[in-house]
Amino acid sequence: MAVVEAKGLMKSFGGKSILRGVDIEVSEGEIFGLVGPSGAGKSTLMRTLTGYLKPTKGEVSVFGRDPFRFDAADRRLMSFMPQSFVLYDELSVRKNMNFTAGLYGLKLGRRRQRIREVLKFVELWEDRKKTASRLSGGMKRRLQLAAAIVHEPKLIFVDEPTANLDPILRRKFWDEFRLLSGMGRTIFVTTQYLGEAELCDRVGLLHNGRIIAAGTPEELRRKAFGGEMIELTLGGDPGHVGEHLAALEVVGRVVEVKEEVGENAASRTRLVVENADVALPKVFEVLRDADVRSADLIYPSFDEVFFRLVRGV
Amino acid sequence: MNSLLRIRAVAAKEFWALARQPQLLALLLIGPVLIMVVFALSFDAGSYLPRAVIVVEEDSEGEDIFEQFRRQFTERTDFQGVMRSVDEADEMLRNDETDAVIIMPSEPSARVAESEQAVLEVHYNNINPIFGTTVPNRANGLILDLNRSIVREGIAQELQAIRPTQEQVEELNVQIEQVNETAESLSSDDARQTTADLDNALGNLETTLELLSLADDENEDIQNALEETRNSRELLGEVRDAQEEGADSVQEQAGTAELQSSLAELSEESAALPADVPAQVLVNPLRLVVDNLAPFEPDAAGFYAPSTLGLLIQHIALSLASLAIVRERLSGAYEYFEVSPLGAGELLIGKFITYLFLVVAVNMAVALALVSLLEISIQGSLGMLASVMAMLSATSIAAGFLLSAVSRSQLQAIQVSMLAFIGSGFFSGFLFPLEELDQPATGFSYLLPATYGIRALRDVMLRGQWPATFDLIGLAVYFLVCLVAARLLMGRKGAA
Repeated sequence: MAVVEAKGLMKSFGGKSILRGVDIEVSEGEIFGLVGPSGAGKSTLMRTLTGYLKPTKGEVSVFGRDPFRFDAADRRLMSFMPQSFVLYDELSVRKNMNFTAGLYGLKLGRRRQRIREVLKFVELWEDRKKTASRLSGGMKRRLQLAAAIVHEPKLIFVDEPTANLDPILRRKFWDEFRLLSGMGRTIFVTTQYLGEAELCDRVGLLHNGRIIAAGTPEELRRKAFGGEMIELTLGGDPGHVGEHLAALEVVGRVVEVKEEVGENAASRTRLVVENADVALPKVFEVLRDADVRSADLIYPSFDEVFFRLVRGV
Repeated sequence: MNSLLRIRAVAAKEFWALARQPQLLALLLIGPVLIMVVFALSFDAGSYLPRAVIVVEEDSEGEDIFEQFRRQFTERTDFQGVMRSVDEADEMLRNDETDAVIIMPSEPSARVAESEQAVLEVHYNNINPIFGTTVPNRANGLILDLNRSIVREGIAQELQAIRPTQEQVEELNVQIEQVNETAESLSSDDARQTTADLDNALGNLETTLELLSLADDENEDIQNALEETRNSRELLGEVRDAQEEGADSVQEQAGTAELQSSLAELSEESAALPADVPAQVLVNPLRLVVDNLAPFEPDAAGFYAPSTLGLLIQHIALSLASLAIVRERLSGAYEYFEVSPLGAGELLIGKFITYLFLVVAVNMAVALALVSLLEISIQGSLGMLASVMAMLSATSIAAGFLLSAVSRSQLQAIQVSMLAFIGSGFFSGFLFPLEELDQPATGFSYLLPATYGIRALRDVMLRGQWPATFDLIGLAVYFLVCLVAARLLMGRKGAA
């Protein structure tokens, strides 16, 4: 069932189009990553999906309803974690949590229990008495995440949660998202780190206000390269690679050939195939006379995937 | 040199950062200038005419005097009309429907005839020890002017009366001349010679009769004739003395009746003037008695205490509330709230309750500190004071919300709050009475919550009464308009 759905979504500010017809669908319980460079329109798309902005054109539905017309009960079903820290520096961690829990109408007993649970979940329970101003940047993000999940929303919009965080913290956030997803929460997350797309269940690539590709990371990779990629390392005189290219082209598409000279001279050839499991035996067949040192299924970085998809637009 | 470069870089950055905020610069420049221009155009303490009603008894001498000198009253006041009842006029005063009640004496002449000044009473109702002297000052001017006019009028009438008196005096002179002529004829040389000859003849006769009496001393006829002759000589002696004394004694005899008649007429005329009237009464027939009906006349500190509190309440409330929304919007919290179940109305009400409690609590503490430290008395109850403070606070908070909803930055919000503070000093009645302000300042005054609040606080603290209905309604309308406008402006961005 689609929790979030947008069709032909357009949004303009002062005549300038930011979203130019976005189609998107997010299913219940999945982590959907909206990936794209700065200025692609990620935040505008998220604000439109949360109901903060009204679309200029097109349709948006969240839980089957127009989020711009949500009432308080509808809004309790979802939450939003903004990119920057918007809670209060002068309040303690617990008071900030109390405030947020109050916004979502949690009653006192339940509130106390949930605050303890979520602060432990984001590992801030020991720091609950600290004022927010004394927290590090990463801790503030975790406090913001705790505030977003304290009322157990079914859908969580998360805007650039890992921006400017070190890789370890970034990884930790994604672990927490995965745990939340495991609890049945639907997470819509934007990120400018293309590599993080790999951590999502499904990904939408936003470029110039349009979704240029959407699907699982694997599907996007396949779309970018036209299939799966096998990297072959052949020993011997690199000049002999050319003798095998014609045979390889029968199995798949050779996209790259690199030659290494010297004592351990070798050549690396990248071959895109429809299905690696099916193709590999055929590759070994056509290379039976060659010195095949290795044949690996490789996963190109999402930077490369994104680059290829954008170039293909 | 490097230091200079760094300083130059900072200075250039600041300049361009400010130059990129033309609205803020305009506000910084135009705001204070505008306040001063409006004030200069509107404030003229000398031209303020207090509203006044005249109370005078119908068909009385006082009414005649009022009608005769009406111009003196209407030129010095914003004249509202004539009334017959002092109580009704004083009620107008208490209801702030007039500034002065002038009570004319009914029979001033009768008082003057009793050698007393007639009393012109002026009632007013003012608690301002600094600027509240307009009515007494104007009343003093009025009484001086009236007295001068009455004396001038009296002299003119007397001049009219002098003409017949002069004619009478001339007639008297004629009569006196006639008497003098008579006196002169009686005391002439011929008359004296005649009386001397007569006296000589009577002397000879007396001698002859004395000789005869010696000869016949029992003859009664001779004795009687001698006595008569002596009597005649005595009488003649008196006549001759009179001749010697001249006209004076003769004048007393001649024309006395006519003189008495003329003098009687003069006496009758002069009887019209009261006897023994002191010069002070003649020169100032009217005396001024000024009565301030205000229940309490504070000193300067006491008078300015409610104004200071009013200004403080507006400033604290406006400053707090003006940052309320703009700060949340700039931090991103507003978007966070918009996505949450929290409605814009709930956000406003939540902030409103805290600010209201805070502002009222702080200012009640300030008021109590004023009472204990400066010995400033509060005529009304503390409950009354807290209620009025709450109303002014609520209105100022609502105005702050509206300001916050339209401000683009915190600096802009603070700047407008400060301008409102400065403007309130000039236009809210804090420094200068509103009655002495003219347009355009008057219009500007009613855009400030403090204008209503200061008057309301003065009513409670200085008069011990609930504020005027106008001020309460003003605060309520202001509050509702600002709150509704702020709520509407806080609609979702995308809807705009």
